[in-house]
Amino acid sequence: MPDIYKAEKDKKEKDHAKEDSQYLHVAKHKNHPKSRNVLSSFCYYPRKADFSAKDPEEVVILLLRKHPITNLKWILISIVMLLAPIVLNYVPIFKIFPIPANYQEVFIIGWYVLTLAYIFENFLSWFFNVNIVTDERIFDVDFVNLIYREITDANTEQIQDVTVKVGSVIRTIFNYGDVQIQTAGEIPQIEFHAVPQPDRVARIIRELRIEEEKEKLEGKIR
Amino acid sequence: MEANNLINLINSGFLNFLKIGALILFGIYIVFAFVILRQAKIMTDTLQLGLEFFIRFFALLHFILAIFLFVFAFVTL
Repeated sequence: MPDIYKAEKDKKEKDHAKEDSQYLHVAKHKNHPKSRNVLSSFCYYPRKADFSAKDPEEVVILLLRKHPITNLKWILISIVMLLAPIVLNYVPIFKIFPIPANYQEVFIIGWYVLTLAYIFENFLSWFFNVNIVTDERIFDVDFVNLIYREITDANTEQIQDVTVKVGSVIRTIFNYGDVQIQTAGEIPQIEFHAVPQPDRVARIIRELRIEEEKEKLEGKIR
Repeated sequence: MEANNLINLINSGFLNFLKIGALILFGIYIVFAFVILRQAKIMTDTLQLGLEFFIRFFALLHFILAIFLFVFAFVTL
């Protein structure tokens, strides 16, 4: 027989359960389908994300890169560099200062090789400068230039404060910003620059802190 | 006639200078391409995110192109 009246108590229990499940959605999503797009700048439970400092039991929850729109500048410069020899063909400078055809060929090939290097370097810089959030730690991997790299990590339990900064029209339109993480470790602050969905990133980090505190109370040590 | 000879002499001197300069530049570029090759290896060893094969292949291709450019310039110019 259908219920004619349901006591408010049941409704409140349902709301609490929904709230809990929202808070623990990171834990609930441990069996989440792995993100397969290797070029994505926001990978939730990425399919492949291994690094030298990772423990075997550690699970990578978030892999973040700068929002793709930050690459627009070097992409436009690359297009200009690719088109430059074609445009210069129509500029009469080589008629005023004639250079033999073989010299022109060599310089054009050299120019395109240089352009290739420029594109490759910028791609590597975007692809490998990542921020990683695991179930135990957060990492900031920076390849500053050709020969210098910096890897910073902090335990989740050392996180004291998470601040989201979204400024400017472009950042608001494309929903990306900075996430500042204050820690109690040697490095007082770790910053995720220009990451997509910064509010979601902050929420995931806060949930991981809650989980860590729960595990501490339950006496689980890894 | 003498003026033409002088112009030709200046031109050939300038072109020789250009050739030597280009070869030196392309030689330095080979070193730069090798550094990029090493950088790609270090990056892919530090982080395995997918695309390792393509990145290393591309870096190697770029290095080979740099050597080819030097040889081509040496032969052609």
